[in-house]
Amino acid sequence: QHLSLSLYIYIVDDLNFQEALEGKIVVKTQSSISHYGIRLTVKGSVNLQVRGGSAGVVESFYGVIKPIPIVNRTIEVKSSGKIGSGTSEIPFSVNLRQRDENLERFYETFHGANISIQYLATVDISRGYLHKSLSATMELIVESDKADLLQRPLSPEMAIFYITQDTQRHPLLPELKSGGFRVTGKICTQCSLSGPISGELTVETSAVPIHSIDLQLFRVESILLGEKIVTETSLVQTTQIADGDVCRNMTLPIYVIVPRLLTCPTTLAGPFSVEFKVAIVISFQSELSKLHKKSDPKTPRLWLAMETLPLELIRTK
Amino acid sequence: MEFRHRNYSAELESHALPRLRAGAHPLSAPPPPPPLSQVDAIDCGNTDFYDPLRGTNNDANAAPPDHDNLNEAADHMPTKEWTSFRRLLTQRFPVSKMVSVASMPDVLTRSGKLLEKSSTNMHLEELEDPQKFADEGVKTITWQEYVSRLHELKDEITRSWLAEDRVTSLKLSIKVAKLLMDTSVFEFYPTLFVLVTDIMDMLGNLVWQRIKRKAEFSEDGALRCNLAENFQARDICADAKETCYNWFNKIGAVQELLPRIYLELAILPCWRFLLEQPLDSLRRLVMMIRGLGDPVASAYCRLYMAHCAQKLPSHDIGYLVTCVNDIRVVLMQILSANERTHKNVKLNKKLQVSLMEPTIEYIMKCIFTGLSQRQVNEVLSEFGLMKNQQDLGSVSCVSIILHHLLKELPIEVVSSNVVQILHLIEFSKDNSFDQHMNYRLLGFRLYERKSPVDIVDAVLDKVIQVIALYDSLDEYLKVVDAYTDLILQNQMDNHLKIILEGISKRTWNKGVTEDEMPSLQSLVVKLLSHFKHLEDVFSLDQFPEILDVMYGKSQDVVFLHILNMATRNGRISDPTSIQLLFEISLALHNNIEFMNMKDDDGQVACSIARFVHMVDYGTEMEHHLAFLVDCRGAFGRLNELKETLVHSSNSLAIQALKCAKKHLNFVKSCVTFSEVTIPSISAHRQFDLFLETAEVAFLGGLVSHSDGLIDSAISCLHTLDIIDGFRTPTDVEGLVSSIRKLCGFLIMVPGCTLSLPVTYFPNSLFTLISSRSWFEPKMRAQIFSAIILLLTTLSQKRLPYHANSQIPGNDMLYYGDSSYNQELVSLSKLVLENLLSAVQQEPSQAARGIMALEACNCIASSFMLSNELLSSCLTLVETAKSCLSAKDRYLQSTIQLLNKQSPTSVGTMVSTFV
Repeated sequence: QHLSLSLYIYIVDDLNFQEALEGKIVVKTQSSISHYGIRLTVKGSVNLQVRGGSAGVVESFYGVIKPIPIVNRTIEVKSSGKIGSGTSEIPFSVNLRQRDENLERFYETFHGANISIQYLATVDISRGYLHKSLSATMELIVESDKADLLQRPLSPEMAIFYITQDTQRHPLLPELKSGGFRVTGKICTQCSLSGPISGELTVETSAVPIHSIDLQLFRVESILLGEKIVTETSLVQTTQIADGDVCRNMTLPIYVIVPRLLTCPTTLAGPFSVEFKVAIVISFQSELSKLHKKSDPKTPRLWLAMETLPLELIRTK
Repeated sequence: MEFRHRNYSAELESHALPRLRAGAHPLSAPPPPPPLSQVDAIDCGNTDFYDPLRGTNNDANAAPPDHDNLNEAADHMPTKEWTSFRRLLTQRFPVSKMVSVASMPDVLTRSGKLLEKSSTNMHLEELEDPQKFADEGVKTITWQEYVSRLHELKDEITRSWLAEDRVTSLKLSIKVAKLLMDTSVFEFYPTLFVLVTDIMDMLGNLVWQRIKRKAEFSEDGALRCNLAENFQARDICADAKETCYNWFNKIGAVQELLPRIYLELAILPCWRFLLEQPLDSLRRLVMMIRGLGDPVASAYCRLYMAHCAQKLPSHDIGYLVTCVNDIRVVLMQILSANERTHKNVKLNKKLQVSLMEPTIEYIMKCIFTGLSQRQVNEVLSEFGLMKNQQDLGSVSCVSIILHHLLKELPIEVVSSNVVQILHLIEFSKDNSFDQHMNYRLLGFRLYERKSPVDIVDAVLDKVIQVIALYDSLDEYLKVVDAYTDLILQNQMDNHLKIILEGISKRTWNKGVTEDEMPSLQSLVVKLLSHFKHLEDVFSLDQFPEILDVMYGKSQDVVFLHILNMATRNGRISDPTSIQLLFEISLALHNNIEFMNMKDDDGQVACSIARFVHMVDYGTEMEHHLAFLVDCRGAFGRLNELKETLVHSSNSLAIQALKCAKKHLNFVKSCVTFSEVTIPSISAHRQFDLFLETAEVAFLGGLVSHSDGLIDSAISCLHTLDIIDGFRTPTDVEGLVSSIRKLCGFLIMVPGCTLSLPVTYFPNSLFTLISSRSWFEPKMRAQIFSAIILLLTTLSQKRLPYHANSQIPGNDMLYYGDSSYNQELVSLSKLVLENLLSAVQQEPSQAARGIMALEACNCIASSFMLSNELLSSCLTLVETAKSCLSAKDRYLQSTIQLLNKQSPTSVGTMVSTFV
């Protein structure tokens, strides 16, 4: 038998049923089928793990931590019955929250390196012992409740940065040290997830030609492990701001789109936290850089200059 | 056989129409105005045409159009200007066969392959550019393969999109855009830009169509709304906005700056679905392009932005002005690149600027299209060029930008700011563009519209001051050429004198190079075009000197111009002018000889011939004839000219005959000149010229010369061949007509009993025509008829016309002589037999019928119809009947003529037979 199962789910804001999940199950079949029940399960959890980094050998061995449950609800959409041939639509509604339950608050969907926050909806159709059960799973992209959205506008604060040979803590090429360079600008410290990371950058002077200027977005994931907090920083995205040796004293815009699935609002929960920061990395032209094209972007190099700044991501209307 | 008596005077009177006095001269009457024609209403191309068979779009049951129909007309068709500009861009930079690329992207290697250069070529290139080969990974690919691969990629993107695999379409498009990061392809970069942006535009259109359809149709295909041309972001549903937002997010995730910019530009119009003010994105993009450090890459990215921005509804040129200002900064850094110690400049400066120039040109054109006066001033302020008087001395602009700005400025602005513009040109002196070319451009622009004399005077004073310091003749000429029209238009004789002196000095110092000759030619032609009389031009002090230093094709152009100018105003009588023009013609002729050129269009030959034709020595006829002799010696290879010489000589003879003072010897000299010249002309023209000269000689009473010329005319027919010149029916008809003309002339030519009887020439002609196989039956019949008519006329008591009262006609000499008449009859019989034979040989039936009737008329009007001749006529009539319709009017009139002409004794028989 040819059978295809499609699932469409959407979230509505209903005053009568807070945090209700409503949608419909779409079944396409060439012949009618009998079933013993259609069940919908919604699960959400925070999955944590610790790998390498600042953790010790013992911690990495015991690094797997129990997931933090957020929601786990199962409803029976239909009791036993028959689904006709063709396309059938079965609406459903499920209340995700009960007053008496002692569960964590909702966190937004996030796919990080060590922390992932995921919501899945699964539909199961039981067809008895002689037939294989039908099942389909769909991930839900959860964003903050509208009630929790910040009412206030973004803070207009911009962090001003200076990048010169004197601000670098790592060794630099001799010509960079002697000739010098000065790159200035500003960048926002608070950024809406629906908007870009914005700012300005100006190369005022540089004795050595510039190869590239990039803005790197990092996630900083912290996990409470026993009495110890394990923190790891990893790269989310690199966006080039300047390609080649740009003109001096010309203002370049910083305009970086925040990737949706790879970011979430800055979260400071008890067992874990998800934070972000940006690094402005200037790569100068040199023979050495050609020999190390595949180097780790975080590792300081003789031909690199960088400045790191914190960045708070928030959800706004 | 007996000739019919004819009274030509009586016949003329009987055929003449009655004459009536006209009230007014018909040519002097004003023509009546033509009736007003009905002007058809022009169809305005109504796009709101309602097709009832198609039904309304608001019908909910109507099936939605196919979402993936790529053949549907795009909302944003590229403008004609952009299309033609792209074509020019690819043609402007010729591409070498092999393209060097900094690295071989994987998109190019799927079908392309690395070609191993020969070690010799590789080594030679390494010597020329050691740094290039020091860099690791230099690869080469033929540009054909490069182009072919890009076409394949375009097809792949389309196929992926049609298969709803939009992720692949986007990924491939990103790879295509990345190709523009490599500017080491040098001259191939403009072509690469054209190919890549073609793909970008295609993707942009696909995305636009997808989102627009989402906005207009719901998920199940029902029509949601019809988007107006000027829709706003608030008109768009959430679903379409979400898809649009996703596209910008996907493109925003591209790491490299250049492809990210190109892709956002490609879907730039889609910001209209999200933002009420899409121009905000445009302003950001202008700033982002500054991040492209490579001058060529950034310039072409700005060019693409100028193109994409035209798709937005509102027209704001602020971003374009910023583009130009940013390009200026880049150019200034390029031009001062020698100050840098670390920059690895692979492209030399000149090539970089050359590659960047088209982008400046296009953007500047976009800025000034449809701009008002106030807006122009605002733009100039934004460029920082229109400051107050105190700062003028310190304001400067990159030369090449100033050039294209000056090219696009409205002429009113140029005229009213000309002093400031001069300052700008003076202080904008760099390597991007030659300063003198900007002075030159200013001159051309001022000439576009009539400028006040004081402005032109001030500009010229300044410009002449500047160019006085030029050592280079080339630069001097380039600038002066642009101002010559202004000087002549405003009759600035002093300035003209100065510049001619300047040219003369520089030419005598160093001569004129081949590259400088076109500018010199242009200037001289302007002088010649301005003055009405040649004397005025040659009266300029330095003009003859300048003419002397010219050579080659430019000299020929100028000489032709002089020649045509001299022959435009009528007769040329001044001996000095004649001598000058003769020498000019000689130079033109010798240049053709020397360069072994073909005067393909005959322009030189026609001009010289026209000059010779226009020469008029007045009463100094001996000088004129001597001139013709000189021309024959000088221009011997020009057939057209030699024909002119013959005509001129014959005309001279006629003039001499009218002048009582001239002796017969002069006429004889002219005739002899023609007689000697004609044999050297091409064969197919000789007959007419011999005939013409014979007529002139006869008119002068030179009977023996005339006889000789007629003999030569007939003789030259012997040498004719079907291949020589008679290729077309027109040529053949012309020859027949000329031979008939000769027959008419022979009526007047007296015979000589002993050596040249009257029938000598007709007999020669007859013998010739009979023996030449290439004379067609139709030709023979016509010529034989003419000969018969000639012989009939010669038999009359009074000839119809005479030319020279001093020469006795054949009627005076021979009428009544029985042997004379016997000669005529004898030859007539012979010709008649051949005429009848020729008629029967005509293969065409219709033509044969007509020929039979013509022959019959000839016989009836020439001879008394004896039984024998009547029998011949009846045979001809029978032939005509078998070939033509019985109702043919020519046939009927011929029969009537026969009835009228036939003797009474046989009249009844003719009637009965018919």
